Amino acid sequence: MKKAGKVHKPTTTRKRLLLFVLFGWLLLILGDRVGELELYQGSFVATYALAITSVVLLTGYSGQLSLGQSALMAVGAYAGALSIFNAGWHPVIGLIMSALIAGVFGLILGLVAARLSGPYLAGTTLALAISLPTLANQFPILGAEEGIAFDVGPAPARFGEDFSQYKWFFWISALASLIMVFFIVNLLSSRYGRTFKAVRDNPVAAQLSGINVEQLKVSAFAISSGVAGLSGGLLVMLISGVSPSAFPLSLSFSLLGAAVVTGLYNLKGVILGGLVLVAIPEIADSLVSRIGGSDNLTTVLPGFLVSALLILAVVFTPNGPGHLLKKHH
Amino acid sequence: MIRNKSMKRATLASAIVATSAMVLSIVPAQANSTGVTATSIKLGVSTPLTGSAGLVYGKVPGAMRAYFDYINANGGVNGRKISLVIRDDKYLPTLAATQTTNLILKDKVFALVGALGTATHSKAYTAAALAKNNVPDLFINTGFSGFANKTKYPTTFMVLPTYNMEAKVMAKVIKDNFPGQATFMIAQDDEFGADGVAGFTTAGHKFTATPTLYPQGTMTAARAEGALTALGAVPGKPVLVLFGTTDVTATLLKAAEKLELTKKFTFLAGSVGADANTLLALGVKPTTIDGVISASFLPDAKDLTDPYVKQFIDINTRYNQGVTFDNYVLAGMNSAMLTVQALRAAGKNLTRAGLMSAIEAKGSTFASAGLVPLGYSATSRVGYNGYWVSQLNAQGEGKPYGGKLVIYTTDSGAGAVEISTFVRPTMPKNGIPTNS
Amino acid sequence: MTQFITAVLTSLSSGAIYALMAIAIVLVWRSTRVINFAQAGQAVLTTYIGYTVIQRTGSFWLALVVAVISGAVIGAVIDRFFMRPIFKRVKSGPIVMIAPVVATLGLLGIIQAIIGFVWGITNQSIEAPVSTGGYKIMGTVIAFSSYNLLVLVFVAVAMLLLTLLFQRTNVGLALRASAYSPEIAKLSGIKVDSVRTLGWALAGAFGGLAGMLYIPGYFLYPNAMDLLLVLGFIAAVIGGLESLFGAFAGGMVLGFAIIFSTTYISPKLFFPTAFIVLIIVLLVKPAGLFAPKKSRGA
Repeated sequence: MKKAGKVHKPTTTRKRLLLFVLFGWLLLILGDRVGELELYQGSFVATYALAITSVVLLTGYSGQLSLGQSALMAVGAYAGALSIFNAGWHPVIGLIMSALIAGVFGLILGLVAARLSGPYLAGTTLALAISLPTLANQFPILGAEEGIAFDVGPAPARFGEDFSQYKWFFWISALASLIMVFFIVNLLSSRYGRTFKAVRDNPVAAQLSGINVEQLKVSAFAISSGVAGLSGGLLVMLISGVSPSAFPLSLSFSLLGAAVVTGLYNLKGVILGGLVLVAIPEIADSLVSRIGGSDNLTTVLPGFLVSALLILAVVFTPNGPGHLLKKHH
Repeated sequence: MIRNKSMKRATLASAIVATSAMVLSIVPAQANSTGVTATSIKLGVSTPLTGSAGLVYGKVPGAMRAYFDYINANGGVNGRKISLVIRDDKYLPTLAATQTTNLILKDKVFALVGALGTATHSKAYTAAALAKNNVPDLFINTGFSGFANKTKYPTTFMVLPTYNMEAKVMAKVIKDNFPGQATFMIAQDDEFGADGVAGFTTAGHKFTATPTLYPQGTMTAARAEGALTALGAVPGKPVLVLFGTTDVTATLLKAAEKLELTKKFTFLAGSVGADANTLLALGVKPTTIDGVISASFLPDAKDLTDPYVKQFIDINTRYNQGVTFDNYVLAGMNSAMLTVQALRAAGKNLTRAGLMSAIEAKGSTFASAGLVPLGYSATSRVGYNGYWVSQLNAQGEGKPYGGKLVIYTTDSGAGAVEISTFVRPTMPKNGIPTNS
Repeated sequence: MTQFITAVLTSLSSGAIYALMAIAIVLVWRSTRVINFAQAGQAVLTTYIGYTVIQRTGSFWLALVVAVISGAVIGAVIDRFFMRPIFKRVKSGPIVMIAPVVATLGLLGIIQAIIGFVWGITNQSIEAPVSTGGYKIMGTVIAFSSYNLLVLVFVAVAMLLLTLLFQRTNVGLALRASAYSPEIAKLSGIKVDSVRTLGWALAGAFGGLAGMLYIPGYFLYPNAMDLLLVLGFIAAVIGGLESLFGAFAGGMVLGFAIIFSTTYISPKLFFPTAFIVLIIVLLVKPAGLFAPKKSRGA
């Protein structure tokens, strides 16, 4: 059912570009209509969506279970912070550095990780996730517990007095995420992306047909890390500074969980995933304040709800809700 | 083609979901002074309720709320009732940042009171743009001296004496009582510990070995045993200064028990980690706690002869049911009492700027349980500026070291440690402030 | 010299604790091919149950027995009613490995929430059954107590018993076969599902033992074993997930590495050491120290 590949591709890309631009424009208009809080939350949604994209790429597409996305986000965040604060570069350069340096780090990590299977990779990335942030204590330049400031500065003057800092954050995070996700979507629709599917469906046949599986895995690691790094930079932009506690192990778990909930095998659900990560604690909080109850209950209820959602998602839609809607893969 | 369509569909669907979620949560515009209406004042706090710090400090916000409830039942402040929004930050700086931002953006509180933690609050202050939004940041629950810097934290008012001050007082205690003994220090590796180390340096005290700094969460039993074994070989009766949180003090004391070194050292425990009841609850033996020297600025929660303590216990029983009264509840209620006086002093026309100038002008005269003076002025954001030295006993009480209560005051700089003749203001009747 | 001896002794104690957790993880892995993150929650839950027994009866040993038994029961229940439906739904793709991980993470949160609700979140402590005072050797007290010795003995004995079970009994053979190749095992008449439940019960029992041995030196609260789980998992991977002796070795290696690096180099290297040791081991032997001769696909 395929038309001649070469003719099809540019049109598809152009259509996709139009879609993304349209979506971006929608967000822009939206940004003008909503309040500070929503812009703040929206920025987190965009950032988490980007982080989940990196998980989908690494775990869903190239089949490598990593529990260390938080560590890669940390690398990106510190790289960005150091670029802006210590080296004095422009914030855009800072964000690019976040992606770049994390990507290089991911490349190196990927070379090691490609040899490891399943639980061994999980264990290594787990160890990375808990130890990397603590390196900030070891090297004074990383600012220890206090961290380093990540300041993108106020919005440009020509946007006017009323252009708040949170709106600026929203613009930056939404734009950066859109650009990166667009890039990744294109990548995955290209021949490169199709090799992932081939390896996933039948690794032996793929290898026999000449696909270098190890190289594929390493490249996936590198790209996914770059994406994660950028999301890390955006995250610490929102809290105005990077510190070790911004990237706890639980963040890796949350991202993995959100990816599973919204579909591990494709990028359709990443925005929903970001929404879930932001909305669920909020819903839990408001539920708790509405119900009241004993002190014990109020402290444990949010965690309980989040965990319950995770379990329900895994039990009922282990392959993501998208699978339920689609008729064929 | 199919892939394109379903992708478009899904992206659009996601967009709609995202949009509706955001649109549905838009709140209508607020009145003049954020968080204040004709009948209410909304205050907020981001503090650990769960996690290891929550185990120790979890009682404080509830205690504050209990005191506010008491005041509300007795007329409130200028006809307004005080409500306190409490958000859990698990002692994590990033969570504190987002929770504090939520307090400003979502809960739209008038002022913050009792924010806890050095790393947590310094991050939260910047992230939530408290300076830009001119949100009063009252009576923060941390002693890091950097918070008194008006340029960096223009809306912050400290209440705890700084760790720097505490270290200087400790240095004096060592100099006066343990000359000639070897001295060592084990401190948490962050600004809290660094502040303490700096205080000893300013006071001119040199430790026998460079202070050991451990990152938060890494003082395991094994490490504690290792550290104490090494120190146990030092001749005489060395003085060991412990500048960490209560769980770490407990770990170190229990290691001493295991190595039978409890009487080998004179323990000087920083106030942050020396709450006797908590130490006992964590399994430290009463005989080990007996004799540990610490410092405080409030009366001991078990001192039933103190009128403030008695009044707070009464409020606790009536408005904070199920919670045992201890030093943390006392501290919380004390801060709440200061807050009420600040709100009263700001007058009926309550604004954020007005609140802050009121504390600058009249804060040093506020009544509180503190046995040391308050240092608020037009130029100073320092709260209590001194300590009295206490010694713990096997019953979990802190009594004046040497038998007689001596109040020391100092600053966070090079100023000397002086003995003060300060007498605290009498408690207002029934613990209900009537100032203006 | 004293510092060195102390370091060795405390390494033994730390290592034994990590080994306990590593063994529990390897048990689940060997019998079901799942990394069970809920182990931290299960072990803490059984320890709370043990705590309640101590509150009522004052006996540590009774509490230990109850904890172990309840651990087995809880483990079996979790497999039968929770993991089995998940395995039925998830058949292929990377999700096979991931779904159980995420599910056990969710389960961990639920268990900890339940504990917090029933027992409260404040610290409790459990008294050790034997002395925690250090032994006196030639006048000085060393950092090794009867209690440390007890833990070491338990770990060694448990390991021995488990190895015997796996290598010398039919049940053990069934456990290994079901994990390695469920289809073939089924063909030879092994009830794969029941065997897997047994594996979880065994691991749960062991987790109960681990908790009751670990907590007395520490504090009891819902998240008390989270860090231990992470370090135990790393230790298990170091040892290679395939052998119980590997878990023990991994625990010891990790314990020694962390204690020595934090004592002699810098206390800040606590977590980085774990990662470095792991990476070094896996670079040389990608399937762990005691990997089987033929490498298996995950």
